[in-house]
Amino acid sequence: MVDTSTAKQLVQAIIDNLEQPVPGRRPVHTIGVGVKGEFVASDVACTYCIAEHFNGKPVRVSVRFSNGLGGVNQHDGWSDVRGMATRFHISGERGSDLIATTLGEFFVRNVDDFFEFSKIAKREKYERRPWWRKVWDLLQLKIPPRNPYPDETKNVDEGALRYANRHRFAQLGIFQVGLIGAPESYARASYHAVHTFWVTAPDGVRRPVRFSWQPVAGVRNTDPKAVPRDRYLFDELRDRLQRWPARFMLMMTIGEEGDALDDPTKPWPGTRIRVVMGTLTLLKVSEDQEADGERISFNPNRLAPGIEVSNDPILEARLGAYEVSREMRGGCPFKWR
Amino acid sequence: MPSDEGVLDRLVDWVHTTDVFKCVASWTLVPYWARRTPVKPLPGGPHPSFQHGDNVQCMMNLIMPLKVKSPIGRAEAALAIAKNKDAIYAGLNNVGTVHFARFVIVGDNICMFSVYDGDFTNYIRDFIATIGEVFNEVVKLVEGGKKVIPCEKNVEAFIQWVHEHDLYQVPDTATDFLRDQEDLKGDRAVSPVDDDLTLLPRKLVLQLRANANISLGSGYRAYPGFSVAQVRKHLKLGW
Amino acid sequence: MINLADLQGNILRGYTKKPHVRYLILEVVDRSAARLWLAASVSGRNGVPQITSGDWGENKPDTCFNIGLTYEGLCALGTPSASLKMFPNEFVEGMTARALKLGDVGASAPEKWPAPFNEPKRIHLIATIYAEKFEQLNEVQKRALPDEKAFRLLGTREGYNFPGDFVHFGYRDNITQPRFEGVHDPERYPDRQPRAPLGTVLLGHPTNLEGLMWRVPHPVALGHNGTFNAFRVLKQHVADFERYLDRAASYLLEHPQGYELLPRGEEEKIGKGPSRRAALREIVAANLCGRWRDGTPLALSADAPDPNVDLTDFDYVGVGDARCPHGAHIRRCNPRGGQIVQRIANNSRRLVRRGVPYGPPYNPDGPLYDPAKPYDGDEPERGLLGNFIGASLGAQFEAMSCDWLNLGLQDPRITGSNDPISGTNDPGTSWFDLPLKSGDTIRLHGLPEFVSTRGGAYTFLPSLKAIEYLGSPM
Ligand code: HEM
Ligand code: HEM
Repeated sequence: MVDTSTAKQLVQAIIDNLEQPVPGRRPVHTIGVGVKGEFVASDVACTYCIAEHFNGKPVRVSVRFSNGLGGVNQHDGWSDVRGMATRFHISGERGSDLIATTLGEFFVRNVDDFFEFSKIAKREKYERRPWWRKVWDLLQLKIPPRNPYPDETKNVDEGALRYANRHRFAQLGIFQVGLIGAPESYARASYHAVHTFWVTAPDGVRRPVRFSWQPVAGVRNTDPKAVPRDRYLFDELRDRLQRWPARFMLMMTIGEEGDALDDPTKPWPGTRIRVVMGTLTLLKVSEDQEADGERISFNPNRLAPGIEVSNDPILEARLGAYEVSREMRGGCPFKWR
Repeated sequence: MPSDEGVLDRLVDWVHTTDVFKCVASWTLVPYWARRTPVKPLPGGPHPSFQHGDNVQCMMNLIMPLKVKSPIGRAEAALAIAKNKDAIYAGLNNVGTVHFARFVIVGDNICMFSVYDGDFTNYIRDFIATIGEVFNEVVKLVEGGKKVIPCEKNVEAFIQWVHEHDLYQVPDTATDFLRDQEDLKGDRAVSPVDDDLTLLPRKLVLQLRANANISLGSGYRAYPGFSVAQVRKHLKLGW
Repeated sequence: MINLADLQGNILRGYTKKPHVRYLILEVVDRSAARLWLAASVSGRNGVPQITSGDWGENKPDTCFNIGLTYEGLCALGTPSASLKMFPNEFVEGMTARALKLGDVGASAPEKWPAPFNEPKRIHLIATIYAEKFEQLNEVQKRALPDEKAFRLLGTREGYNFPGDFVHFGYRDNITQPRFEGVHDPERYPDRQPRAPLGTVLLGHPTNLEGLMWRVPHPVALGHNGTFNAFRVLKQHVADFERYLDRAASYLLEHPQGYELLPRGEEEKIGKGPSRRAALREIVAANLCGRWRDGTPLALSADAPDPNVDLTDFDYVGVGDARCPHGAHIRRCNPRGGQIVQRIANNSRRLVRRGVPYGPPYNPDGPLYDPAKPYDGDEPERGLLGNFIGASLGAQFEAMSCDWLNLGLQDPRITGSNDPISGTNDPGTSWFDLPLKSGDTIRLHGLPEFVSTRGGAYTFLPSLKAIEYLGSPM
């Protein structure tokens, strides 16, 4: 089961790369906001998966949106991966979690990769590239790296690039991180759960699937050339939900033989069958952010009966890592199954 | 804000976004790098795959330069399609694997775009058998078409010719474009390698130089994974 | 009328009386010596075994000997490049380059093929010896390869036709072959399929697709009356197959509609005694193939094997349509006159098949496999040495492999599934529908890959004139 020593090392590797420790908070996705909502499965969802939240009755949902960066400094406007962690509250005070980010594919395949990545992709000085080096880039038909944001002195970009140049499996993930930008709203981005899960249908058939949330309002990023704003996402979401609920469609892609089932760095092509599993309606930003934004703790391995993990080693590693991290920061425990 | 932002700094940041820079670079840097690091045009058509989803709703994008580059040439092409409406429907219904087929005139090219199920050569071969005459009438108006018609008597050459006109489909995921180039070179190395991811833009530019017309991705599908006949059957339209 | 004496004999004949078969996989050592050898083989001079033609005259040959050349082989023999250019792409590229089309992935991928198939470019010529007695194989091989002057032996493959034409998995094979226009063919069972035009199997003749002709490589002496062969070493996982039948039978025993498949009390009809499980196993086996293991087609007798029904005279219309699964192996390979999506392709993708099993026969009652104690050691390698012959590899063998066997494009009810017997199945996603009398189906899941490719090559089977041409001094 959970290998606590590996789990601790994973969390430690993340903490070690922080600007400064953030005791009592998450070491990544530190800044986040808890939201309340409701999920209603589509009419076909129950024919693919017997999990309770797909049976068509509305289920209560807790969502936590977050900025990917670790640390207490909030930089909403920086180019960064965003998180959307969702708990479907099913009967018996139990939950089924689905953790997704705006990154479609991860950049490491397993724990060993992750440690190597952590070693190579350390926070390093990040400065504006001198003009003559930019000219040299342009002469080579390369695009010069972006200028640092105000206040940005260090980041992992250089190291991540070095890692990607060594490992082709990491290139897609890292390339996409480079382009990811900042959403205009947490409700205007697509979020992908990255790993493969197995869902069981009422007739016993098990299918390998991947989940994504797609915003009904559409995807929209801020202008990358504008000066980034540090704080706007929480207020935007609060204002938006006061006017009108925000909705997401839950899309489930069905894998085929030959698709990567245990490797979160490999995308599945757009030619796979895609099923609408339901609609999430976000109703309001929670009033108790301490409980619903901070103490709440998710785990991608907390799954309602009818959904199972694949053999993805990253998914497996997250089981322990998220528990360790939760304990370290005094997060709220939650029932397993 | 870092204080080292000088005039030159701002100039460089600005200059590469200007059309003048892009123009000059196209005339100087692009040919230079094309000579220094030559790239071969990547082959057209869908990426070979044995997986089911990849073998339904495949895209064909033909751009065929007309021999007569004038309104007359274009009208000839338009007429060749128009007068064969019956033949085209008969082919569509009997081959049974085509979702959509469109003929478009762009500049002095006749373009044929279609979405079909199954193997490309089977698709073209079955169409040669049913409506070879329509192909002959269109292809005879196209540069280099003479040598592959009548298609019925030049089946292999005709299929090859069509394949060569089928646009390269850039992968839907950006970095798979690099994999295509490595494949073409027979480079199947795995980690650790010594790549330079920042060269992706240049590689794309050079590929587009070698391959002026390409398809951006393999198409976006609303109901991927289903064949024509599956759709028709589920809609109770007969198949 | 076609001159049978100009064709290699294995194209239209099955050599059924010669159960021992050996394939010699050869590399050209010396071009001139190899050409001399070819010249000698036409008439059997200088001790070189004579190529068996399609016309045996009065005297049946004791042994048969035939050859096929790969593209590399044609190059090695010094075939002019103008001629080489006229060979079709798929042949030029070779079987390994077509792996994705053929479903040669995973365990079947060419990178995993054992020698000599791991070096496809070195395979130039595949010679086949057919004999009544085993010793004759050695004798002919010795004559064919007295030394290494002309050819180097890269490897051999050897098979033996089991009595009654049974193959591993226990089915009777060698029943259906196309019957050709203008060829008198007493060996073949009559059926109601249209006779295939000669161009189905020989270059230079009209094909089944109206008005279409395949390109004949020049000079005429080289291309005319030649044909192509997909030689395949197909490993069969027999223990897995039998185990799967067990699992499917258990599933059907519990299935509420299982009685529709086999009404209670009718177990004995299946011929496996009173055991319901044993009977259900046979029913599954029959449905996967489209024939009961004794050869009875489901299209004619879906409820039980019946030695009295015709083996080939059936079609997939009416009852034949309803009771033979759309996904059954023989129906996927040859939909006959049944409804298919690509209507134009009915009857156009037919193949001449020459196969022989290799490896020891499998004995379900012997020590190798005990259903109560599923066998978990290494199964000895066994399978089928298959030859799939047709005038266009692309339009026949490949077309069948990629769209019909492995995608199921021909029928929306099977699209998205693979052939249950020879398809590249993955137990995680595979399925197969068993038709019931009521029109419902029971879906089976979890079929593993029962057959893996362990080697093969595309070869050109030249006419005798072509062999003479290739054997002429340069
Ligand atoms: C080895 C790989 C990974 C490690 C070690 C890791 C580690 C962590 C840790 C320690 C936390 C804080 C958990 C807590 O204190 O509750 C966290 C949060 C998070 N992670 Fe990961 N993670 C990994 C992979 C991923 C992947 C593949 C995704 C993409 C879906 C992801 C998305 C998130 C999100 C969205 C959060 C915030 C959850 C929340 O709002 O509570 N992580 N991660
Ligand atoms: C080891 C693998 C295979 C086994 C055990 C096998 C077995 C059989 C059997 C038992 C039959 C019925 C006998 C008959 O009608 O003559 C058959 C028919 C046939 N098989 Fe296979 N087969 C295999 C692979 C293949 C492959 C790879 C192909 C084609 C690419 C193929 C093509 C055919 C065709 C065309 C028929 C005749 C169907 C008809 O005309 O009705 N088989 N096979």
